[in-house]
Amino acid sequence: MATRDTYRGLYTGMLRVATWEQRLLRMIEEGRTSGFYHAGRGQEATAVGATMPLRRDDYLLYDHRGMGHAITKGVPIDRLFSDFLGFREGTTGGLGAGIVHIAWPEAGVLGQSGTLGGSFPIAAGAGLSALYRGTDQVVLCFFGDGASNRGTFHESANVAALWNLPVIWLCENNGYAVSVPTAEAISVAQISQRAIAYDMPGTTVDGMDPIAVYDAVSAAVERARAGGGPSLIEAMTYRYRGHYEGDPQTYRTREERDEWEAKDPLVMFPRRLIDEGYADEQWIEATRISVSEEIEAAAATALQGSKPPVSRIFDNVYA
Amino acid sequence: MTVMTYARAINRALAEELERDADVFIMGQDVGAFGGAFGVTRGLQERFGRRRVFDTPISENFLVGGGVGAALTGLRPVVELQYADFIAVAMDEIYNKAAKWRYMHGGLFSVPLVIRAPGGLAGGAGPEHSQSPEGLLLSAAGLHVVTPSTPADALGLLKSAVRSSNPVVYIEHKGLYGLKGEVPDGEHLIPIGVADVKREGTDVTIVAWTSMVHRALAAAETLAAEGIQVEVVDPRGVRPLDTDTILASVQKTGRLIVSHEAPAPGGAASEVAAYVAEHALDYLAAPIQRVCGADIPIPQSSDLEQYAIPSVDDLIRACRSALSYR
Repeated sequence: MATRDTYRGLYTGMLRVATWEQRLLRMIEEGRTSGFYHAGRGQEATAVGATMPLRRDDYLLYDHRGMGHAITKGVPIDRLFSDFLGFREGTTGGLGAGIVHIAWPEAGVLGQSGTLGGSFPIAAGAGLSALYRGTDQVVLCFFGDGASNRGTFHESANVAALWNLPVIWLCENNGYAVSVPTAEAISVAQISQRAIAYDMPGTTVDGMDPIAVYDAVSAAVERARAGGGPSLIEAMTYRYRGHYEGDPQTYRTREERDEWEAKDPLVMFPRRLIDEGYADEQWIEATRISVSEEIEAAAATALQGSKPPVSRIFDNVYA
Repeated sequence: MTVMTYARAINRALAEELERDADVFIMGQDVGAFGGAFGVTRGLQERFGRRRVFDTPISENFLVGGGVGAALTGLRPVVELQYADFIAVAMDEIYNKAAKWRYMHGGLFSVPLVIRAPGGLAGGAGPEHSQSPEGLLLSAAGLHVVTPSTPADALGLLKSAVRSSNPVVYIEHKGLYGLKGEVPDGEHLIPIGVADVKREGTDVTIVAWTSMVHRALAAAETLAAEGIQVEVVDPRGVRPLDTDTILASVQKTGRLIVSHEAPAPGGAASEVAAYVAEHALDYLAAPIQRVCGADIPIPQSSDLEQYAIPSVDDLIRACRSALSYR
């Protein structure tokens, strides 16, 4: 169950993610890094709420919207900036990484498949590995509504359920696969319905509510650790920015965006903290200041980095 | 030395590596109690248990991608694609995941994965169960591709593949499973990327792998009676390609024929030919010839399929042509 620390931790976590992204967007505007970024603004409650229940040694395969999953799992934020900047201090040692391919093995961050749906089999394999080695690690695999249609999901969900693999399939349903709305691409009303086909629990939660996400994932993690097998959780959420920076967004209406922006977790959740007595205005304000300072310090550290020599491109092809 | 079949040598390699390293496991379709579609994993589940040797659903994307996931997290999976043709089914997992995961994630991981892939003609298996797809993987930087032609090579290469920290596609030839040969007793390892000169000669070099090694040796035997000395070089893998051994042979003989079952367009013979043309053109006394499969899908008929791949006579003709070139 969520305690006061959980509530506060979720708020701090979401704020770190959103502030980090805001700072990255400034770097993009300044021309320091490319605009190949899929902003996560709006989806923080899902990314942070789902990742917080994990242990450090659990595995994460994040998806390509925002860095909330990776930041929450423990990738150092200055190194994240460095990856986007193409600096050698990044997790890839200067090879560069944008919204995919950041990794941090010591915190269980296994990276991400650049081809959508490519992470499903790898997540199942990591789950198989945990079971084989007799650990109680679990795997959290994020994906979008669009990627849910890949055949790799079927193969991976089937073996996960068949072999009771400790995998949590976490769908961030934000309503659009780039420009195509879910109603035009998905045969079921809710993606969680597909869990029935694999005889695993499937649930849909309010992805704008970090507590709802946190509770659902905590239950799935507990179940997986105890040998109960996989779960499918669908979090209904929304991205406030385009699919990419510069997306004309002709496929959705201003009204729809307004409706979802009224549910902004970064506006609603701090109010709830105060209303339910988990924090006061002073704590909220102090948290805002300390997070801003943390992000600014990380950005300053990262900006002092340097690009690798050209010879870097030939490193790490083989072990 | 012990005489054993190519299939038995693969089985022995798997058993020895399962015995040696508890992180090694085998998964694939029918590899468990059934012993594999071609009997190659026979007895392994019985000996090592269902935890170490197990069947999977027909799910090639999972099979290879799951192998990558297990390899990233500390294990050494050996996965069996029932036919090498199924590389096409799992291409994203092989080409984009197994091969590139380490590189694109900054060298933070290694991917010690072996993908066994039975290739080649098998007597009427048809166009989707008879191919030799090593050429498809030539551009997969990050991957190794090995192609054993004898029982001893099958044993030594597979053991090295299992111990490698890199993903290795191990293309074994279905038509060679029953081939018998001498295999060293005790630990036998063959380094990946090192060619073997299967027969020494001075007049013409045939670079060939898997089944075509044996046809090249038969051609060499016939031509030896006419006083023509053919050198047969088996690179034992196309990625990495042992270009040093190939160049040294061509510099000695001045004539090059490259032979494989797959069609010439897009095949690895083209890579061998291009490399020699770039680095040893001055040594060549005759044009390079690719004696490869016909540029067609492989016919299902067990009679007709033989016409889709090079024969011993094709190789003999090519050698004579190279020697008579003026």
